[in-house]
Formats: sequence, C-alpha cells, structure tokens
Amino acid sequence: MKMMMGIEVHCQLSSKSKLFCSCSTDTKDKNPNENTCPICLGFPGSKPKVNKAVIDYGIMVAKALNCKVAEKMYFSRKSYFYPDMSKNFQITQYEIPLAVNGFLEIDGEKIRIKRIHIEEDPAKLVHKGGDITTASYVLIDYNRAGMPLLEIVTEPDFTTPKQVRLFLEKLSSILEHLGVYEAEREASLRVDANISLEGGERIEIKNITGFADVEKALNYEIVRQRGLLRMNMKVERETRHFDADRRVTKSLRKKEYEEDYGYIFDPDLAEVEISKEWLNRIAAKMPELPDQRVQRFVKQYGIDEYQAKVIVYTDKNLADFFEKCCERYKNAEKAAKWIITYLLKSLNWHSISIKQSKVNVDSFIEFLELMDSNTITERYAKELIKEYVDTGISPKELIKGKVKSLSEKDLKDIILKVLEENQKAVQEYLQGKEKSIEFLIGQVLVKTKKQADPKIIRKILLSCIEK
Amino acid sequence: MIEIKTVKEFVENADSIDFDDFISSVIEKCEKIQSKYQPFITINKNHAKPKKGLIHALPVSVKDCICTKDLQSTAGSKILEGYIPPFDATCVTKIKQQGGVIIGKTTQDEFGFGTFNVNSKYAIPKNPFDVERSCGGSSGGAGCITAAADFPHIAIAESTGGSITAPAAFTGTYGLTPTYGRVSRYGLIDYANSMDKIGVIAKSTYDIALMLSIISGYDPLDSTSADLAEQDFTKFIGKDIKGMKIAVPKEYFGEGVDKKIADLIWEKIKQLESLGASYEEISLPMTKYAIPAYYIIAVSEASTNLAKFCGLRYGLHKQLSGNFDEYFASVRSQGFGEETKRRIILGTYARMAGFRDAYYLKALKIRTLIIQEFKKTFKSFDIIAAPSMPVLPLKFSEIENLKPIENYMMDILTIAPNMAGIPMISVPAGLINGLPAGLHLMADHFNEAALIKASSSLEGLE
Ligand SMILES: [Zn+2]
Repeated sequence: MKMMMGIEVHCQLSSKSKLFCSCSTDTKDKNPNENTCPICLGFPGSKPKVNKAVIDYGIMVAKALNCKVAEKMYFSRKSYFYPDMSKNFQITQYEIPLAVNGFLEIDGEKIRIKRIHIEEDPAKLVHKGGDITTASYVLIDYNRAGMPLLEIVTEPDFTTPKQVRLFLEKLSSILEHLGVYEAEREASLRVDANISLEGGERIEIKNITGFADVEKALNYEIVRQRGLLRMNMKVERETRHFDADRRVTKSLRKKEYEEDYGYIFDPDLAEVEISKEWLNRIAAKMPELPDQRVQRFVKQYGIDEYQAKVIVYTDKNLADFFEKCCERYKNAEKAAKWIITYLLKSLNWHSISIKQSKVNVDSFIEFLELMDSNTITERYAKELIKEYVDTGISPKELIKGKVKSLSEKDLKDIILKVLEENQKAVQEYLQGKEKSIEFLIGQVLVKTKKQADPKIIRKILLSCIEK
Repeated sequence: MIEIKTVKEFVENADSIDFDDFISSVIEKCEKIQSKYQPFITINKNHAKPKKGLIHALPVSVKDCICTKDLQSTAGSKILEGYIPPFDATCVTKIKQQGGVIIGKTTQDEFGFGTFNVNSKYAIPKNPFDVERSCGGSSGGAGCITAAADFPHIAIAESTGGSITAPAAFTGTYGLTPTYGRVSRYGLIDYANSMDKIGVIAKSTYDIALMLSIISGYDPLDSTSADLAEQDFTKFIGKDIKGMKIAVPKEYFGEGVDKKIADLIWEKIKQLESLGASYEEISLPMTKYAIPAYYIIAVSEASTNLAKFCGLRYGLHKQLSGNFDEYFASVRSQGFGEETKRRIILGTYARMAGFRDAYYLKALKIRTLIIQEFKKTFKSFDIIAAPSMPVLPLKFSEIENLKPIENYMMDILTIAPNMAGIPMISVPAGLINGLPAGLHLMADHFNEAALIKASSSLEGLE
C-alpha cells in the first residue's frame, strides 16, 4: 500500500537569550515564570526585538541542510487563541521564511527540506489531574514563552517510519555539531508527523518528543489506518496525539477545513536583510558536519563506515568521546567496537547519553588496557562494563580483590593440573577427536573463574599436550 | 506662585520655583479643568522632586495609551481598567530624565479608534471653545488640556490616522505628528503598529520643537525606530522661509471640505508667500484610495494587537469558569466597546484566507503607491499645505448622527500623510464663528525642520 510521510521538526535553539527579549533561555532549576519580562509576557506597550544570534544559528542549520537562504526575511503574526500564547498570536515566518529547498541524505536517499523558519515557542502548559484530553485545569509556565524555535519542514518523502527516526538522529547530530541546540534539554526537539495511506486522508500526529516514539507512533498509525481501510472504513482528516505510555495515538480533533491563522506581517519587526557578508561570516565559522566527520573517522582511524556512522550520528558527545580515547589509545578499531557494541548497549539500557553517564575517557582507556594486558578476559569485560556504566567506578577499582592477576606461570600450572585430571580427554584428542580440546579449555576457564583468555589457554594447552 | 504662562519662560526660570507649591497648584487647576472639560482619565497626585534638565518641573500630560510606570494606563479601554504598567514608555523615561512632571493621563477614544473622542467609557472631553462640541480625537484629552491649561504645559499625544491633527485643529493648538520612527514606540499600547506615531500637542511651535528634541532619537527597544542622532529642533524656530516651496493639493480642498475653512487656509498660504515662500497647486490622485487602504491595514493590525487582552495576565479579570474560549469571550465582550468590536471583526475578516490577498495585501500595495506619490512631490516641494480637518469642531449631537462610514470620511485629509509616515503639523489658522480651524503642513520623511520653520514663521502674525 502506497504511503506518504513527512515531518515538521521544532528545534529549540540554544542561544543565551530568548528570540525577542533578553530573558535567559536557561530554565534549569528556575521557578515557573521566573524567566519572564513584559515582552515575553505580551504586556501592553512592549515590543519584540529580534535576537540576531538566533538568525546566525538558523543560517548555519539552513546551510547544513543545503537550503537556499532568503536575502530579506520577515516575521509574521499567526493568530489563534490558545492559553499558551501570551499575545494570542505567535510571531513566526510565513510568506518569506529564512530558507527553502534543501535536502538531507539518509543512506543514499534524499529527503527534501521544504522550508526552515524561525518562530517563538509558546508557554508550557501543565495539565493537572489528567492529560491534555482529561485534565481538570491547566497551569501556564511562561519560562518557555519566546524561546527561539527553528521549524524544519520536510516534503512527504519518507518511505518507512524507521527512515524518519534515522533522519531525526542525523538531524539532531547536525544540530549538535553546529552547537545550536542542547539535546539534553527537556523537549528540545518536538516533532509533528503526518502520514497518509493510499485511499485515506492525511493524519497529523502532534508534538511527539522522542525519536523512537515518532517511529512507534507512525508504525501504530500504519497498522491502524491499514485496518480501517481494509474494512472499507474512512480515514478522515484529523489531528492526533501520541500517548507514549500506552504507545497508541488518540484523536485530538477532526480537521474539516484548513485552519485560518489570519497571517499579517508583524509591524513591530523591521525586515531583516541577510547580506552576502553575513552569509560569508557564517560560512567561515561553519564547523565540521557529521557526514564530513564520518569520512574523517574512516580515514584517520581506519574504522569502517558503519561504525563511524553509529558513533557520529548517535550523539556528538559520543563522537567526541571516541576521538579523545583515540588520542591516547592507539587501537581505534578496538575502541570503536567496544563503544558501539557494549558501551552504547549499557547506556541505552539506562536510557542515558554518554554526557549524562559517569563514564569518562581515562577510565574507559583503563578498561581497554586491562583487556590488552590480559588482566581481564573479553568475556569478563562484557560483564565489567555494565558495572562500570552503572556505578561510574573505575574498572581498575572494580576488579580489585576479584581478579588476582593471573600470570602465565599460574595459568600453566592450572593447565597442567587440568591435563592431569582429564587424561581421558587428552587421549581422545590425540586420537583425533578435535572437540576434546574445547572441553579442556572449558575446564581451565572454570578453574580460572573465566579470567583467562580462551585463545591463550588453547595455545598453552596445545603446547603442553604436544610435549 | 510666580505667574509664568509660557513653557519657554518657565524652563528659563525653573530654578526659582518652589516645586511642591507649584505642583500642588497645578494639580488643583487640573481638577478644576477636569470638572469643566474632562481631559483626564487619571490625574497624578504623587510627585517626587523632578530631575534637573531641559524641562525641569514642567507639567507634561501623557495620552493614556502610553505606558507610565506605577500610573494607570488604560488606552481608554475598560478592558485595561486598573492596569498599572511595570515600566515607562521610552518617551516617558526621556521626559522624566529631563525633569518633566507627569501630571496625568489624558483621555482618548478606546485604543485610538475614533476622530472625535466619543468612543470612550471614561471621560469624553468637552471643547473649551464650546462645551457642546468635541475636542476631536483620538487624542482629545491632550488637545483639551492644552487649550484649557493656564499654566505651562505640553501634551504627549499619539496619531495613527490623524489623532494628533484632529484634536489640535479642534482646540486651536499646535499638534505635531513626527515621521514614523522618529520617536520610539516602546511603551505605546498599539493601535496599528506600522502607522502609530507618538507626537506632541502644545501652545506654540517652540514647545513642540522643545519636546520633540527630548522624545525623539534611536531606541534599541523599538526595531522600527530610526537610527538618527538626537538633535535640538528649537534651532529651527524663526528661521527664514525665503525660497520655501509649498505644494497645495487640490484633492485637499475638494468636496466635503468646509468652504470657510478652505478660504482661511488660503489666507495662511498667502501669508507664507508674503514671508518669501512660493506655492503651486498640484494633484495627489492617490488620495482617494487612502481611506479604504488605511482602514484595512489599521484594523488588520489592530485586531491582532487586541488579541492579547483575554483576562489572564492583566486588565479586566473575571471569575474563572468554563473553558478558555468561553472565559476570554466573556471578558472581551464586557471589556471592549462597540467601535473596538467593530474594528476587531473588520480586521479579522480582512486577514482571512481568501480575502487576505484582495484586502490586506492590496492595501499594503496602495500604501506603497501613496508613499511614492508623496516622495515624488517632495522632490519639487518642501512642504504640502492643506486644511487640517474638513469641518469645524462638531457638536456631540451631530456626531451621534454620523454613520460609521461618514465618521471615517472625517479623516480624509489626515489619512494619506499618516499612512505614508511623513511628518505633519497642525497650526492654528484662526477662528471661524468663534471656533478654531487648523492649517496642515506636511513634509518629507525626517524633515520636521521645514515644518517648524514654517509654523513658527506664522506665529505672531494675525
Ligand atoms: Zn522576556
């Protein structure tokens, strides 16, 4: 069944002050409504004043997404009455947005970017006594009102929900590399996804916050809409909301007509001319972007492209972590493997990022070196890394008392003892039963409490038997 | 108290004044004037010692749509009754810095919506020339107190489509509407932001020039404020006008303009000629499109500006009940007056998808053409002269009988220059049957100097 999917991403930019006033955007540990002033509260007589740093950020994103930046841009008023809006209109861009016509490549496929525009975030509504559909009352926190948002709108080019997730991950990595947003901030990236299946109308799912949730919501919608269509029922145009706890979408409102926002140019804000010089200034300070970084990782560290993509697209901090490790730890391939396969798995288990975790470069290198010196086995390392991520205690500390360092002589003694105790197996091996050697290795592992490397055990075993 | 009547004398002798004595007598006079003519919504009775400055201790009244810290500012609307702004408008800050004393907030049409200052649930000002008649609007209170005050005083007013010219003409005072962007709008409760201008009503050109010098200048808080250095406009007072070229547009003397007023204005133009200026009759054909285009832009902007008044953060509140839509609808139904509701509905309609191109966007194009027409005129002329208002001050009983469209037509002489954002001054032209009429002088953007020269040259001549 043919389907069309597109998204609108609202990204909160990390400028120091809000879009139209000098209030701080740092709301961490702030009381509700502490970061406010007459401008972001929409007091009579107050006037917005655009924060140029936000436009700088917007231009950087536009360039990274291969868009054409407007020479002159305007702000408009989008009118609708809603309690999260201090002025009952939102200052956004309508006719002439910051940038248009770009694309982002996901595994060789181009997802077209329709437009990018700057707008102000509304206040945060706190629903009391229920969710958006059932709350008995609502509190308003204007700390978020006037925060700078970048809205990125794609064409309906996605073919699978997974591709949408990959797009969001890559986009998030680009934004982080540009240094224009903080992934850790609450709801710093919010997505409206729209999907239509052949034979049905367009459904919009509003305000989804996690990338995995976007994928889940779309998958849910495909199943739901397919079911309706198969039963010859109509899929009517509507706006839905994703309930992350129950993993279902719920109807918010039917849309019988296009909403009318009565746009006018915001007469308080003069037009913003984006000169060649301005663009050149931004171009000169564009940092390395994720795609370039992936290629560099392949060349510089000799890791394969798949590994490089996982490290770079997961999280900029993870890529930074990998590079810091490689400064002092020369086996980049091994570092990459352990980061991707085991470290990331443990972090994901706890749903935390590398930055939020207690893992640091020094102790991680220590951990890798414990394996290199055969102090711990790979098998044990896989257990140890979980404990390390859980506790943040350095691996050296963690193994103290648990692993007595096993010298080659100690290991040889153990092996000789095992050979003596298992004469039958030795005989069988000598008669050509290859499998017996595995049994012997197993016995040695038991005796060493899995603290020796099976490859080394095999080597010593064989040399002893031959003697 | 020393009997000083003019602002010029007052500021030159300000050091010899006992402030407490002076201000209490001024407040007393204001209260007397209030009981007779009602120019104020609020009279300010709390006065700290003013700063030393260009207008040390000078009484200044401020139109109610301009925010004054700790002093009620309602913009003439019941929806803002009791609203005490937490900040001063930039022009008020500048006035205070120069020692000005805010004596009160003058009445106006609700949010500036009117030409006669009758659209108000607060005070409706009465004309000191005849209390049966209007002071003009929307800055009616500013014109009224300026005409009635027998103490040195300057009024801060505001114009979107003629709200300074109309009351100045009706009260026989001087009224300057500066170039859009000359005076910061920060702290002005908006009517139509792309056309709102804070200006001055006063008893002489000197007072106008002095106050303009104080309140003008670049303000980083207003993105539409012009990036120009502050300057002293009083230096243009009494400057020679020899060689000044005056354009007299025939559209401004046509149908609907009182013949007696037209004749009086011609007398004034001839006076300017006798002082060395020359004049030529011209045509401004775009004038006829100005009124519809103006009202479309003004109501479109106004209807979005007024959306913020919903009883949540300031102004009129009610017991919270029902959902948000029901709550704000009941607050707005109660708080807004009839003309305000009319303009919100018109504005919302003009912005709607399907009408937007035909109305709002087309009106913006017409504005551009009107600006171009003025720009072209000012390539050959220094000023344009015309009557300020087409009629003499109307009786309240006459205003009641005007249909909304007839009412809007009263702005025919002021709308185009206001839309174009050019500066204009209404100069008292004399009395007709004991009622004042105004001469309207307009100049190119940022050429207030020409207006001050021409206006001051007529002073003292009769
Ligand atoms: Zn703020």
